[in-house]
Amino acid sequence: MKIVGVYSIKGGVGKTSSTVNLAYLAAEAGHRTLVWDLDPQGAASYFFRVKPKIKGGGRALLRGKRALDDIIKGTDFELLELLPADFSFRNMDILLEGAKKKPIRQLQRLLKPVVGDYDYVFFDCPPSISLMSENIFRAADALMVPLIPSTLSERTLLQLKDFLRKQEGFGALKLLPFFSMVDPERSLHQDTIERLSAKHKGVLEARIPLSPEVERMGIHRMPLPAYAPSNPASSAYRALWEEVAEAL
Amino acid sequence: MNPVVIDHLLADGSDLDTAADVVQAALRCQAAPPTESRRRYFDSFEWSLYLAGAALEEEVMGDRREVAWLDLADNGAALARQGVDVELGLAVDLPPGPVHTRLAPVLGIRRLLPMVSLACRSRTLRVLNDDDKTVVRVVLEQCRIAGEGARPEVLLPARLRIAGVRGYQREQEDATRQLEALLALQPAHAPLLLAALAATGRRPGAYSSKLDYRLDPKQPAEAALRNILLGLLDTLEANVDGTRRNLDPEFLHDLRVATRRTRSALSQVKGVLPPAIVEDFKHRFAWLQQVTGPVRDLDVYLLDFPKLKTSLPAPLRPGLDPLKDWLAAHYDGERQALAKALDSERFLALLRDWRAYLEAPSRSLAADAATPIEDVANRRIRRMFKRVIREGRAIADNSPAEDLHDLRKTCKKLRYLMEFFQSLYPTTEIKGLIKQTKVLLNNLGGFQDLAVQAQHLADTAVAMQAADAAPVEAQLAMGALISHLLEQQQRARREFARIFSGFDSEANRALFGRLFGPPTTTTSARHGAADSNRARA
Repeated sequence: MKIVGVYSIKGGVGKTSSTVNLAYLAAEAGHRTLVWDLDPQGAASYFFRVKPKIKGGGRALLRGKRALDDIIKGTDFELLELLPADFSFRNMDILLEGAKKKPIRQLQRLLKPVVGDYDYVFFDCPPSISLMSENIFRAADALMVPLIPSTLSERTLLQLKDFLRKQEGFGALKLLPFFSMVDPERSLHQDTIERLSAKHKGVLEARIPLSPEVERMGIHRMPLPAYAPSNPASSAYRALWEEVAEAL
Repeated sequence: MNPVVIDHLLADGSDLDTAADVVQAALRCQAAPPTESRRRYFDSFEWSLYLAGAALEEEVMGDRREVAWLDLADNGAALARQGVDVELGLAVDLPPGPVHTRLAPVLGIRRLLPMVSLACRSRTLRVLNDDDKTVVRVVLEQCRIAGEGARPEVLLPARLRIAGVRGYQREQEDATRQLEALLALQPAHAPLLLAALAATGRRPGAYSSKLDYRLDPKQPAEAALRNILLGLLDTLEANVDGTRRNLDPEFLHDLRVATRRTRSALSQVKGVLPPAIVEDFKHRFAWLQQVTGPVRDLDVYLLDFPKLKTSLPAPLRPGLDPLKDWLAAHYDGERQALAKALDSERFLALLRDWRAYLEAPSRSLAADAATPIEDVANRRIRRMFKRVIREGRAIADNSPAEDLHDLRKTCKKLRYLMEFFQSLYPTTEIKGLIKQTKVLLNNLGGFQDLAVQAQHLADTAVAMQAADAAPVEAQLAMGALISHLLEQQQRARREFARIFSGFDSEANRALFGRLFGPPTTTTSARHGAADSNRARA
């Protein structure tokens, strides 16, 4: 089982759409795939038409009163399942702090019983750098980091790299930054992409375009490649998925 | 809670479209257009996938072709899928992917063979909740088994599958209840694949090279021995075609094991079959063992090659490539010789004569022909065990390699005897003893095989050199390999004493005594009774 966190300190960079589309493509390629919606906003759950609600909330989940197995929902797509969000996830750090042992390894612990059930697990992560993020970093094999081609995005990437460097035990965590919401018309985007790609090793080749079709995912309530398989943005997600699968 | 797939059979003569209309009228759902597909189900000759609770389905729909790994325990629900553009065969032929990951460890080195082909028409309906979210999938399906040669098509009963979606169990129960009330549904007792196999008369799991005879302890030895030998002949014959076509190396391996076991049964179960018959067939099966040897040796080499290569330091590894080329070049010639032997009148006559003899009415006048098999088995195993102990104890640190080789042969005979007759003894005990004998055999086999391999490599190096096919790099690499093999051999030799003392333990000897202990009647008394019985008959 490979675990991929789609993560950025910054919000509004295309995390959820990337998570949903990549997970869909993983399942379409025949892999048993789970999306864990860790963002209290519950956008990924919404895209899959599942209510962002867990009986007993995050507390029941962390205390083992609700087994993961009982909470997971099948989606409209074969081999693709979802662990929905809950509004209580906004207080996740407090709940994690309350864990008796190893508060930074709680996600890892919760996933243990389903290790054999999936080939890929995708975390849709809330923006921030917190105890929850640290749990994500500990559990994941790779972190995909969407970057809008802007100076601000570079700063958040540097912050993340800096954070990971200062902590112990993240040596094996693969960092997979990629460009998201790219506007091909804007020369500033193109210049930034060239500059950042030269400066930061390991930035993936695939670029996700800024596209009205991606925004329409909220209307269709399904992954983009499911309703617009030949849209250029779907092709970009396919290219991205191939790179990620290769990197893992 | 994992989703559950429930299969039903529609009543005879039901039409898919009418049934789909009923489903649509009863449940809020969205229907996909009807699809036509061709499916083939694959397994290895020994049904490795079926025995692991799985099946491999290849589906061609329009220009899309994919394979799915199905869970037979969940009515054939797909656990993984993968697009393919190659003909299915060995695991290495299938490109990496989710199905390959599951297939490779189960299939091993065996080849996938098509077991049954279907042409299917399907209709899928997704049952939706208020959010238009899929909560249940209903699949209506009508399949026919494609006719092959003279075999006509067979129409299988139409099916209605209710596939649950995880987290929506209640919705699945509701849908099942409603549809059961509306359509004349019968529960399907087997997944589609198994129903199709049953309709063609194929029994999954029917072939196994394992020995599994159910013997009656009081059965006359001759009848029991014929039963064992017939089983071995069945196994041997079952593997001839796959060996001839070189489908995978296991066919030849199983054929050779059945041959070796036959020879062992002939020579070890003494006094049961007429001596002239024993002599004749021992001789003829020895020929078979000999003509099948060279290809098996090369198979083992080629299978082991990646491992042999990695046992060398990295800079030396490319030096082994000429050896691989050499072996591959000789392989075709050896294969042709083997195919010729298997097509020869000598081989065909051997199978024919042997079956004719084994199936003919009993006529052996040999001394133990009428003795209960239990007594013969006890006596033979007891003697062979004593011989293993005697030969093993005589081996010291400075004993020649031949002594270990002889002990291996004796040990193998003991193992085969115990395997032939295992149904006569308590399962746990006999299996434990067989296992322990195998441990000893592995050690002795390792010692012997490594020596043979090292010698074979040295001979090959000479032959390659003579043919100008051994550059210096190849000679160095082969030299290093020989040294590595001999080192391993020495390790096996050093471990012998410890492993043998485990076999020769007091507990083990006591167990042998208990299981194969002295018979209740004396041999001569039994002979007398058998002779008088025969006289009366």
